[in-house]
Order: sequence, then C-alpha cells, then structure tokens
Amino acid sequence: MINREAGVFHTSYESDMALYALPLAKITAWGMVALLVLLPLPLSLLQNEHLMSIVNTIALAAIGAIGLNILVGYTGQISIGQGAFMMVGGYTAAILSTRYGMPFWVGILAGGAMSALVGVLFGIPSLRIKGLYLAIATLAAQLIMEWTINHVTWISGGAQSSIYVQNPTVFGWELDNEFRRYYLILVFFLLAYFAAQNLVRSRVGRAFIAIRDRDIAAEIIGVNIFKYKLLAFAVSSFYAGVAGALWTYYLRIANYENFTLVVSIEYLAMIIIGGLGSVLGAVLGAIFIKLFPIALDLTVIGISEGIFGVRYGAVADFLANFQLFVFGALIIVFLIAEPEGLARMWENVKRYFRLWPFSY
Amino acid sequence: MRLRSMHTALLVGLLLVGLAGLSSAFAAEIIIGGTCDRTGPTKLVGTIICPGVLDYVKLVNKKGGVHGNTIRYIEVEHAYKVDRGVEAYERLKREGAVALVDYGTPIVYALTPRHLEDKILGITPGFGRADATDGERFPYIFPAAATYWSQMGAAMQFLKDKGAKKGSKIAYIYYDNPAGREPLPIFERICSLEGYQCRTFAVPPPGVEMASQVLDIVRRFRADWVVSHLFGKSPSISIREFRKNGYRLDHVVSLVWGAGEHDMIAAGWDTAQGYLGMHFAGVGRDFPIVQEIMQMYRDEGQEVPEMVGTVYYNRGILNGALLVEAVRLAIEKYGMPVTGEKVKNGFEQIQNFSLGGFLPPLTFSAKDHEGGGWVRLYQTKGEQLVPYTDWFRGYRDIVWDEIRKAGKTAMK
Amino acid sequence: MEFFFDLVTNGLLVGLTYALVALGFVLIYKATSVINFAQGDLVMFAGYAAAVMLGMRGMPVWLMALVLAVGMVVLGFVIERGILRPLVGQPVIAVIMVTIGLSFVLQGLVAILWGASTRDLPLPVRMEPYILGPVFLSPINLVAAVIAIVFLIAFGLFFTRSRLGVAMRAVADDQQAAMVIGIKVPRVFALSWAIAGLAAAAGGVIWGNMLGVDTFLALVGLKVFPVVILGGLDSIAGAIIGGLILGAVESLAAGYLDPYVGGGTKDFIPYVLMILVLFVRPYGFFGHETIERV
Repeated sequence: MINREAGVFHTSYESDMALYALPLAKITAWGMVALLVLLPLPLSLLQNEHLMSIVNTIALAAIGAIGLNILVGYTGQISIGQGAFMMVGGYTAAILSTRYGMPFWVGILAGGAMSALVGVLFGIPSLRIKGLYLAIATLAAQLIMEWTINHVTWISGGAQSSIYVQNPTVFGWELDNEFRRYYLILVFFLLAYFAAQNLVRSRVGRAFIAIRDRDIAAEIIGVNIFKYKLLAFAVSSFYAGVAGALWTYYLRIANYENFTLVVSIEYLAMIIIGGLGSVLGAVLGAIFIKLFPIALDLTVIGISEGIFGVRYGAVADFLANFQLFVFGALIIVFLIAEPEGLARMWENVKRYFRLWPFSY
Repeated sequence: MRLRSMHTALLVGLLLVGLAGLSSAFAAEIIIGGTCDRTGPTKLVGTIICPGVLDYVKLVNKKGGVHGNTIRYIEVEHAYKVDRGVEAYERLKREGAVALVDYGTPIVYALTPRHLEDKILGITPGFGRADATDGERFPYIFPAAATYWSQMGAAMQFLKDKGAKKGSKIAYIYYDNPAGREPLPIFERICSLEGYQCRTFAVPPPGVEMASQVLDIVRRFRADWVVSHLFGKSPSISIREFRKNGYRLDHVVSLVWGAGEHDMIAAGWDTAQGYLGMHFAGVGRDFPIVQEIMQMYRDEGQEVPEMVGTVYYNRGILNGALLVEAVRLAIEKYGMPVTGEKVKNGFEQIQNFSLGGFLPPLTFSAKDHEGGGWVRLYQTKGEQLVPYTDWFRGYRDIVWDEIRKAGKTAMK
Repeated sequence: MEFFFDLVTNGLLVGLTYALVALGFVLIYKATSVINFAQGDLVMFAGYAAAVMLGMRGMPVWLMALVLAVGMVVLGFVIERGILRPLVGQPVIAVIMVTIGLSFVLQGLVAILWGASTRDLPLPVRMEPYILGPVFLSPINLVAAVIAIVFLIAFGLFFTRSRLGVAMRAVADDQQAAMVIGIKVPRVFALSWAIAGLAAAAGGVIWGNMLGVDTFLALVGLKVFPVVILGGLDSIAGAIIGGLILGAVESLAAGYLDPYVGGGTKDFIPYVLMILVLFVRPYGFFGHETIERV
C-alpha cells in the first residue's frame, strides 16, 4: 500500500532498490498475490464459472492495458493500435500451435515477440510524427494489420479468417475450464504486472518518462530518443502480443474480429480512466471498462424486473440503450471528478486514511 | 408441550418446503437462452430479431407450454463484443440453459468450442460458418437455416433459371469481412462450371460509400447480373448507387442480410423498386403463426408493433420455433428432464417443419444441421416485399462437396 | 479514360461531403486542441433530429434547417458548458476520453429518444444524376459541395476578418498568452463547439439523406481521420483539400487496385497515403507547424 515513508532509512543498496521497500508494502503485495491465487477456491466451490470468466476477461484485458500504458502513459506516444498488435500475437500463436504443433507457451512468447517486431515497424513514424498525428498514424496500423490478416490466406487460414486451437495442456493437465484457464492467465498477469513495475523505475523507465515530459530536453541530456521510442513500442507490443495470444488460447480461436478498432479504443479508455503512467491504474481501468457494462446489465435488469415489475421483453431496447448511456455518463463523471484517473483517486483515498483518524 | 408443538411446526414446515420443491420439479421450467445485440453495430437487426424470439416463446407458454412445461427464455445483451458474448454464454450456462440462440459471427466463432465442450446446443441462423452444417464435426452447432454457401448456390441457380448462360457476366459485390468472403469458393466454382464471366467487388467495412465499385460494375464490367452480399448500412447505399447508375434492380440478387425493410427505408422505397432479396423465413403477416402472435397482442389489449411480420422479426420467430420444436421432440422421445444432449437429438429428428408455409420444409439429421438450404426470393414492390419465387435451392452437390472438403482440411 | 473521369469526379464529390464532416472536427481542434471523437455522433444526432422533424406533418425544409441549426448550436454550447468547461487546463488526453464518453451518451440517448430503427430524410433534391458528357453528377453531392464551399468561405472570412475569429486563432496558438491579453478563453471554447455543432448539422442532413438516418451515421466520423490528418488538423482549407484528395484516391484505388489484390483497398489506401505524407510533412499539408523549444 505505502511504498515509501519518511523516517525509513536504508542501510544497503538492496533494500533501497527493492520494489517494495517497506515490510508493510511487501506484506500487502504478497497478500494480494495470495488472494489472487486463492480466488478460484470459493468460486469453484460454488461452481461459478460465470464469475470466473468475468475475472479472466478482466485479467486478460489488464495485461494489454499495462502494455499500452507503458507506451502511452510512460512514454507519451498515443496509440490507437493496441488491437492490431494483439491480433498479431493471436494469429502467431494460433499458427504455431496448429500448423507446427508447438506447445502453448512457445505460442505465447512467440506471439509477443512477433508483435514486438511489428510494433517496432509501426513505431518508426513516431520518430517524426508527434502527438495526435501519431495517434492517427497508429490507427493506420490497426487498419493495415486488419487488412493484411484478412487478405493473406496463409495467415488467416481461409475466408473465415479464423483458426481454431486446442486447449493448452500443462504437464498433461488440460486447461479445459474457466478455473484452470485462470491460472494460466494469472501467471502471465503477475509477470506482466511486476515486470512493468520494475521496468518503469529502471534506467529504461526513466528514459521513457523523460521522453514523455519533453522529448527535446531528453535528447539534450543524452537519452537516445530513437532507441527508446522504438523500445517503448516494442515492449508495449510485446505485452499486447502476449495478451492476444492468451485471448486466443482462452477462446480457442484466433479471429481478427476480436481485436477491432473498437477494442483498441477500449484499451485506450482503460488506461485513461485508470490513470496514465500508473501500472495499477491500467489494472483499475481494465476492471472499470470490463466490469461496469456487465454489472450494469445485471443490476439494471434485476432492478427493473424485481422492483418495477416490468417484463424484460417490453423494455429491452430501453434498458440496453440506457446502459450505454449510463456507461458513457460514468466515464464523463469519473474524468471530471478526477482527470488523472482511478489510480489517483486510490492515492487520495490512501492518503486520507494514512493518518486517519489523526490527520492534521 | 411447547417444545413438541415447535417440533411439529418445524416438521410441517419442512414437509411444505419439500412439497414445494417436488411440485416445482414436476412442472419444470425449461430454460433457453439467447444472446442479442441491441446497442452494437448490428442493432438494426438485433432490435427486431430478438423480440421475435421473445414473442414466440411467450405465445408457446400462453398456449400451455411444451407438454405442460413452461419455457423460460433469457436474453442477454452483448453489444456484438466477443468478451461480453463469452460472459453472456457463461451466465446462461449458469442459469441452466439447455439450448441457445447465438447472435453475431465473431461471437458464434468464439463460442463454438464452448458449445461442443459443455454439450449445450446453439443455433446460429444466418451467422457463423457454413461448414458447421456438418453435424458430425460440429455436433452441437446448428446453422438451422440456409448458410452463405447454400445462399450462393441458390442465387446462382436462380440466375441460371433466369437464363444466365455461358459467357454471361456476373458480378459479386460483397462486404470485405469473413462473412462476406465466405461464399467466394462456391461462387468461383459455379462460375467455372457454367462458363460464366465472373468478377468480384469488395466493399471494405463500414461500407458507407461505394460509388466507385458500383460504377465499375455497371459502366466498365457491364454485368448482366449482380449477386450482392452486404451488411449493415451498405445494402441501402448499394441500392441507391445501382439506381443512380441506371442499373435494373431486378437484376440484383441480395443474400439474406441485405434486404430488410430498414434497407428499403434508408434507400427510399421508391428507389428500391424491383430489388430482389433472399430470405430463409417467410416475410409478411399472412402466416398463421404471425396471426397468432398478433392475436396475442390484441388479447392483451396492446397495439401490434409495427415490426411484427417484418423480415427480421420473422427470423426471430424461426429461431424460437426451431428451438421449441427441438425441445418438444426431446421431451416426447427421451422424457424429462431436458438436457442439451436430448435437445440436440430432438433437433436432428425435426422433419418437414414448415409452420404452415412460414418456413421451407426444414428437415434435419445427424449429418445435416442446416435443414436443407432452402431460400426464397422476395421483391420490393410498393412499400412491401412480395414473394418472387417459391422455396428453392441449388447446386447442393457443390455445397456439400465444399463442406466435405472443409472437414478434410480441418482433420489434417 | 471515361471510367477514369467518372471515378475522379465521383471521388471528388464524395470527398467534399467528407470535408463537411471534417470541418467541425478541425474547428474544435483549432480552438481547443482536442480531437473530438464525438463529432460523428454529433452528425448522427443532427441527422436524427432532422429526420424526426421532417417526419412531423407540415414541417417545411427551411424551417427544419433553421430549427436544426439553432438546436445544434445550443447543443454545442451545452456540451462545452456541461462537460468540457470543468476540464479546462487538464491533460488533453482526458478531454479526448471525455469525448469518447460523450459518443456513448449520444448513441444511447438517440436510441432512447427516437428508437433505433432507420428513418429516411427526404430532401427536395432529385435522385437522378445530371449527365455531363461521360460524367454522372449526383445532385445531393453537388448540394454538399456547395455547402462545404460556402462554409469554407464563411469560416475563412470569419477567422481573418472578425475580432472573434482572430481571438479564436489566438487561443489556438497559445491559451495562456491569449488569456493574458484579455481574451475570454472559455467563451472562445464555447463558440468553437457551437460552430462545430452547426457544421455537424449540415453534415447530418447531407449524410442522412445519402445513407438514411440511424445510429450508424456516426460511422462517417471515422472516415474523417485521414482527411484531417492529410490536410492538417488545424487547417480549414486543409480539411477541404484533404477531403478532395482522399475522395479521389479512394475512388481510384477501388477502381484500379482492387481487381489486382482481390479485396477492398478503399479503406486502408488512404491511411497508407496519410503515413507517407506525414513522413514528409509531419503536420499535414496545411497544418500549423509548432516550433519546439526546451
């Protein structure tokens, strides 16, 4: 919860450089991990695959969102092409595991690597184009990738542009239900989360932040902009590729329609609402964007049927559009309340309770 | 004394609860689920299809259900998003649904493995892949209406009947997405078989502008016939463009998603006169089943909504009717409680199901999950769609050959 | 050759209708440096309102146009007041996100108010094309072209001749400096949204007539990105030129490239062109080049 505290003095470099410098922070971090690992237990006792599938969706989205936040939030290069990079990862994984019989983890890593390569390619314009112009150039990446995958039969595997894959197996253990798939996703989610937390406070991360804050100034103090901008694209696309490959194994199909422009914009929405330049923010944003529509759906229908006693069929259109309306309004309200996102809100809450009830 | 009376009360209470449980087990509810898109990119279709299913199920329940069992139809909105489609599926599975109406091509693709694993039947009329016709490869997926391959076969049969011969120029204008490209192999095979001169014209999504493609078809290629396979906004735009370039609209045959009433409204009814549209369920209100639904509305003292009897509403009735029929057969042949497996077996025994001319004579089997691949053409006349042909189909051998081929490549 | 001329004239005319939508986009960017993702939805909203009004009996077209224009200007004001004013001085990207939220709100609202089904928007413009030798000219496209050009001239004069217009340019250039010399920045913001509302009204009526009115009308917003980038995000003339180039390129790509690659290239060729242009001119053809200092 609290990572730095006045009055705590470090006596060794290791303790100073630790990701969580305070014992309390370390305990909360481990506690969260334990919580996540044990999460399926109560759900599997209730046999609730439904809730588990929602958690899986959120965790998958969080991986992609963390990656995008490295590019947009930390390096300041706006991208509306996250879906395209996920697409690359997804198809790479599917092709490797169906045509070449590779195990799933090769597919996931290769998906990430391939996507990083493509990301670097589409990152090249960033050396010359900035800001919103770059944003639209990444939109081009989205459309060009969609077109390519759709029209190169070798990649798409035929007119339907979709490739079915088998369930991954780990040590002969087939991941054939939501609970088992959760652990696959969880491993990558934790890796993604902690890797990102470490990255952003390293030399590389500081270079990213310098470029974001003022790229010319960064260049003057000796940051190789060329290298680090492309590196940011590579890292971010690697995350996207891994997320895309995981999506593919999760759904057991690679289909470009899972990664359309709408999805790219959704990811951008996640990190903006969650908080730019915050790893935790990306996760919170993923929760917001993925959970709210579902939660709204469940509550709005429940309330209107249970309390107002209306029949679903009579008002279905109204309810559906009302949800869309409320979702949009929520985005607006949250951003007006805290333009720096949910992560900042969370900070504020923490700050309030830190000295509670004896605040100044 | 007091203690004893409490015990008695407790016992009686338990007994009552048990009885209530038992009785509810007797008059069981059969749960059917459906996903829908009322706010996403296909909302024009979803807001009309889904009420069709709801109304049909309501009618069935009003008439006493299926062998005394009521059917509960649960609809979940997914806005055409894949992750919400998965959530909807898992929610319906948890509710205990034995069969689902799947909505939306990418969602159907994503849910297919789940259907096969969980043994929950899914019908995908008008969506999904044509090769799922093969019931041996996809036991729990039912296209349940003419697939894009069958539609293309039928369209080409129609052109042949209309006098297309060797050397005739045929244009295929399609939405450039998987659904639009799916009929291409059938189109090309028939073209080379019959010696037609064929060309294809792609319209990239979202297809709000296609002046140049139509110009090409009409003025450069000079097509004798056009087969059109467009979605969403684009059919109406194609109608306008063809008209603008002076092309005869009764030489344009649209596959099933390009000829709804809303397309005619968007293009203008006057503009769309003569346009030929393909449908896999009857259009209009002159069918006993549609009349019954209208009567149901009147009995409730409500006005009959305008959409009753329109193209997509009637497809909703088709969805509901097939599932209910499958459940009925499942109960008759295998008894209660109904499971996904029984519904599947019931579905495969549907024979010549036509709801009084509302549907073609649909017959399913363990091999054929499509029902025969029947379609019917309607023409735009006045402000109505009027029948232009009877139920027909064509080039079944080529369609089935493609299905076999798809099965073989998938086996590799 | 005849086919070539057909493609080009058609493309140019369609390009001007893109430009009409792009104008509203550029106006907002110019004054507030925000990419308005809801511009397409504003167009859709205007189209709906127009169709609903024409659906009422006895509403003449000119009255509809008047009410619509006033209504959209008011809507622009309301949007600025309600959700953008509180975000003045906040990161631009948060403001962009708010416009995405706004687009959801408008999509939901329109369907709640007027239903999702398609409506037609009949204008007293004839359907049959004018035939000039080998070239077919579609009347509605001509109307759009005229409106786009009128807007271009009007805005051009407004920005160079009127005090308010000059003030808007000053704000676009440097908000703080503009405030220092006494320009009321919030008022300028409100004005730019109001004008964008007006441009959306014109776009909504024209596109609504061409496509029919339903919530898909918002899709035209998507077509506008390459237009504004090609022309330069903050240039009104750029929006028109970008529209023309894009229309012609799209049309030619569909006519000459599609047969060879076996797929619709119309949507992605403009983007390829756009990237190439950006390499040479990172601010588009007419975009304002910012000089960066540390």
